[in-house]
Amino acid sequence: MDESSADPAPTEDDDHHDTLWVAPEESPLTVVAHRVRMRYKVPRTDRAPRPGLLGKLSTRRSMVSVSAVRGVDLLVREGEFVGIIGRNGSGKSTLLRMLAGVEPPTAGAVYTSARPQLLGVSAALMSDLTGAENIKLGFLALGMSPEKAEELVPHAAELSALGEAVDLPMRTYSSGMSSRLKFAISVMAQPKILMVDEALSTGDATFSKRSKSKMDELLENAGTVFMVNHAPRAIENVCSRVIWMERGRVVMDGDTKEVSAMYRSFTYRMARDREDEAMGILREAIEHGEAQRAASALTLPEDHAPVAPDNVPELEPDPFTSIFELQMRAQSFPGTLQPRGRRAATRPAPSATATISTTDQRGRHS
Amino acid sequence: MVNEVKSTSDVKRALEAKNLDPSGLARIGVRPPLGEYIQQLWQRRHFIWYDSRHRASTQNSRMHLGNVWLFLRPLIDAAFYFVIFGLVLKIGRGMENYPAFLIIGILLYRSTATSITSGTSLLRSNKAMIKAFTFPRASIPISAVLQATMTAVFTIMVMCFAIMVIPPFALPQISWVLVIPIFLIQTVLNLGLMLITARIGFHVPDMANVLGVVSRFLMYGSGVMFPIERFVDNETALSIVTLNPLYQIIDMMRTVLLDGQVPDLRAWTISIVSAVGILVIGFIYFWRAEESYGRELG
Repeated sequence: MDESSADPAPTEDDDHHDTLWVAPEESPLTVVAHRVRMRYKVPRTDRAPRPGLLGKLSTRRSMVSVSAVRGVDLLVREGEFVGIIGRNGSGKSTLLRMLAGVEPPTAGAVYTSARPQLLGVSAALMSDLTGAENIKLGFLALGMSPEKAEELVPHAAELSALGEAVDLPMRTYSSGMSSRLKFAISVMAQPKILMVDEALSTGDATFSKRSKSKMDELLENAGTVFMVNHAPRAIENVCSRVIWMERGRVVMDGDTKEVSAMYRSFTYRMARDREDEAMGILREAIEHGEAQRAASALTLPEDHAPVAPDNVPELEPDPFTSIFELQMRAQSFPGTLQPRGRRAATRPAPSATATISTTDQRGRHS
Repeated sequence: MVNEVKSTSDVKRALEAKNLDPSGLARIGVRPPLGEYIQQLWQRRHFIWYDSRHRASTQNSRMHLGNVWLFLRPLIDAAFYFVIFGLVLKIGRGMENYPAFLIIGILLYRSTATSITSGTSLLRSNKAMIKAFTFPRASIPISAVLQATMTAVFTIMVMCFAIMVIPPFALPQISWVLVIPIFLIQTVLNLGLMLITARIGFHVPDMANVLGVVSRFLMYGSGVMFPIERFVDNETALSIVTLNPLYQIIDMMRTVLLDGQVPDLRAWTISIVSAVGILVIGFIYFWRAEESYGRELG
């Protein structure tokens, strides 16, 4: 998908490459995620009616539990610009919401050095208020004093580049305009940790340039920025580190060029229906990322010995890796909730039970 | 098998084992202790105030008559009940000034009933704010009650006006000043109820239907349409009804406005103690699910 829609603007691209952010070598931790999981319990409706009278009478709905994120470990330091890529439904946004503290994980824990500011794609804040009033409301919601908020409103209005529209009710805004406004609020509040969830992809070229320079400014002030996008192009021009998510797990986590190159070749083959090749790449990437995953996993000092990652992966694969691979192979694009086709016939049962179990083992957040 | 890293101290030890500095990290996505929570709320007082003020002034902005409805709606209500019950059905035979009795009952009841029913959808309808910013979520019910209170000021004014112009005319007296403290007690009660229904409605949206019935029940148990003494003979049942804070509030308001007297100490005690009690219970109940209000699904 992404390869095919090559952007005909190479000059702009080179410009970005020059200013690619480089994270400092040593800096304190800002975000630590320890085995975070997220499970949703949602109703599912069969498309095909069940046979018999009972099938006609009974509803075709049943509750299933969906694992959006299944055990992610993360160590992020100050000054890092982290990109999270992955296909739709791979758990990127859910992970980001958990890192931001908006949604509590069903298992695991997230630790941060400051309160993260999440910038998501959502509707208007208060649709009856004008843009300027929403800016002030947002500042106050973030805990600013009224004087400070009043002082910063013109700056935020300018940064959002909405012009006269800033005095119109927010219900009249397009999604791009409303995400500009929210970006302006978030950035003007000077968060130490900023998390951007595809929100900026709706902005136009002038705004993306402006927002990039604002984010760089934030990074220079010892901040941390997270950015979620399904397209590697939006990530690789700006981020210093990339995390590739697939089916709620981290496939690779590391250098931007390396990870996004792998991801690109994966999506390229996926888009051309060469699924087996794509899965091969995915498997390779998973093996490649194993060392990094193990490095960010938290273990107590005394039991550090038994796990020896990266020693002889070919001979005796880590059980976790092989299970992960099995799931990958068994599940076909775009998800598991599809009619049993040729793929399901070859490997029947485990595919359905792997991602979506019909039990109600919904995690408790204790 | 690897030992589980579970508690915060485990995580810190594990980080130290990796030669990383865990100091300065704090867990997020968990609810703060009650004291800290109240402190955070106090910090957001400007937010709550700004939010409620603007909601109150824009709530009618999509209507052609705009804020005229602040007066018009209670006025239409008052006129409706006066015509139906006072003129057509003549329910209040033998009671002096039944129309005023009814108007006070209906308008006060309505403000509490609205708090109960609107609370159920409150958190869902404010999803955009909840997801965009991190702030103590109790700000939302507080701001909603403040907004309703600002609207209710007009309702009270209309109420006083209505009982003055509808025959037999009740004229202003010194005791009318006590409308203000009674109104404040009702606001405290409304806030407590809304905090409770906001959490219930967030977890179980179906409760919106059940709470509609509950508020109807409250209407008959608060002597809104008729004096309760007329229908309840049983001593114990009567004393249970008199423990209902809304009954006391409506009764006190009638005493003040129609009889021109100061309500007795018992009425004040019951209404204040139960309103504050419900607020404390409601606040703690709401706070206990604080971290979950940002959840995407159920």
